[in-house]
Amino acid sequence: MGGIEIFLDGISKAFGLILSSDPEVLGITALSLKVSVVATMVGAAFGVPLGFLIASRSFCGRSLLVAVINTFMGVPPVVVGLVVYLILSSSGPLGFLRILYTPQAMILAQTLLTFPVVCGLTISSILGLDPNLKETLQSLSAPKLWEAAILLRESRIGLIAAVIAAFGAAISEVGAIMMVGGNILGYTRALTTAIMLYTNTGEFALAIALGIILLTVSFGINLLLTVLQIKYRKRR
Amino acid sequence: MDPSKAALLASAAILAVLFSIAFLGTSGEKVIVATTTSTADSGLIDYIKPYFEAEYGVSLSWISLGTGQAMAVASRGDADILLIHDREREEQFVSSGNGTLRVTVFYNDFIVVGPIGDPASASSQDAKVCMGRIADAGRSGTALFISRGDGSGTHSLEKRLWAASGIRDYENSGWYKSAGSGMAATLRLANELGAYTITDRATFCKLKESMGDALKLIVVCEGDPALFNPYSLVLLNPSRYPNIRYGYAIDFLLFITSPEGQGLIGNYTLSGERLFFPVYGKTECLGLPPEDEAVAFIEDLRAHR
Repeated sequence: MGGIEIFLDGISKAFGLILSSDPEVLGITALSLKVSVVATMVGAAFGVPLGFLIASRSFCGRSLLVAVINTFMGVPPVVVGLVVYLILSSSGPLGFLRILYTPQAMILAQTLLTFPVVCGLTISSILGLDPNLKETLQSLSAPKLWEAAILLRESRIGLIAAVIAAFGAAISEVGAIMMVGGNILGYTRALTTAIMLYTNTGEFALAIALGIILLTVSFGINLLLTVLQIKYRKRR
Repeated sequence: MDPSKAALLASAAILAVLFSIAFLGTSGEKVIVATTTSTADSGLIDYIKPYFEAEYGVSLSWISLGTGQAMAVASRGDADILLIHDREREEQFVSSGNGTLRVTVFYNDFIVVGPIGDPASASSQDAKVCMGRIADAGRSGTALFISRGDGSGTHSLEKRLWAASGIRDYENSGWYKSAGSGMAATLRLANELGAYTITDRATFCKLKESMGDALKLIVVCEGDPALFNPYSLVLLNPSRYPNIRYGYAIDFLLFITSPEGQGLIGNYTLSGERLFFPVYGKTECLGLPPEDEAVAFIEDLRAHR
């Protein structure tokens, strides 16, 4: 089969799999979504507050810290996978948790990927605010929490962009979840690891079909976030 | 900005954390087999899974790795039992105290494959001759060889064959490429480059079935006893790895060595071809040393169930 035929076959297979709601494919898709959505949420829960703190305070070594966080925005997933594997391994420091080769381990690994993305982009969007705004707020001697809320509200478009970027990094990565999840059928097999497996075994059309499903699901989540982003922009 | 919104934000953050903690600690009864890409990619374990689960009520999970990586993972206590094919290293694994028992359970065979037309004229009954011809053709620039290069059982066999053919300089030669990949990925690379490689028959058949005519590789050597590929189960040492699910590992061992398990392995076919041959307790017929001690141990376990 030539490349074009495989691609077309992949598209028709993708529709077939979605329409027939194949339980294996549904399970793989649901796992991918669950892992990446939770990893993005947890990454945001830690990344936004920390990013805000770093951006709104000046302290010694701040530029260095921001540079480190920005570097980790591009950390190879497979390195994160290896580190998390060694930590969760039975002989590792958190081996007693017994969560290696489980979806929880996958969530943990992806959270380490989403956290720096959210944190770094939060810092950028807070730093990008009009400096007069902060001065005005300070001159009003407003309570700290109120001041923080205003600043976060003003940078909301950037914050949603941070979440979108983090989700994209999570749903598309394969190296980390392959290593700590083990690609176990019906348990830790996600869309990206399944695509890799089917590519290896020469089932290219099926691999393309799963790629199309991955993009479709990712599009759905991004549509939701983008609508939210644009809607909040209008409500000034 | 009212504090209620701040509170909402904070509670959302807490919820997210709780949500993820809720995921922790939800693992059922399962046994994790660390196995080779050949048994997993060929579909053999997929085929056995429902029978094992129905009989023992334990979920069968496996991670497919090269034999070297599978042993590395097991030696950290991250798998419950090994199903691999590298006799020498299996024995080292047991003698170093990481494992307690090694038993041969089935075999298939390796084959040397190469591009259609066999430009190296490597086709031979004798694997040593075949490898020698590939190296000769490589030196004269008419052939390429792709190695797994990943410390797998297949990679070990390849190194033994080069040694048996008296070829030493291969690793630094231009005709020799190290893929660092699994079997199917290495085969696809050999296919793209029109190169020779060594593969287990199961993975080759699986790829032939899924790729059809797009796989332009043919068998150039088969049937040499040096190409026998015996697979073993290796039990981990429960006193060294107290966290492993030793009891379930025993269940898996007993199932694979039972008449039912052995029968299933022999019955598994791909495109009508039998790929694996049960050999538990009958290793002499392969010219391998008898494994009476291991067999006695397993049968004793079975009798006391």
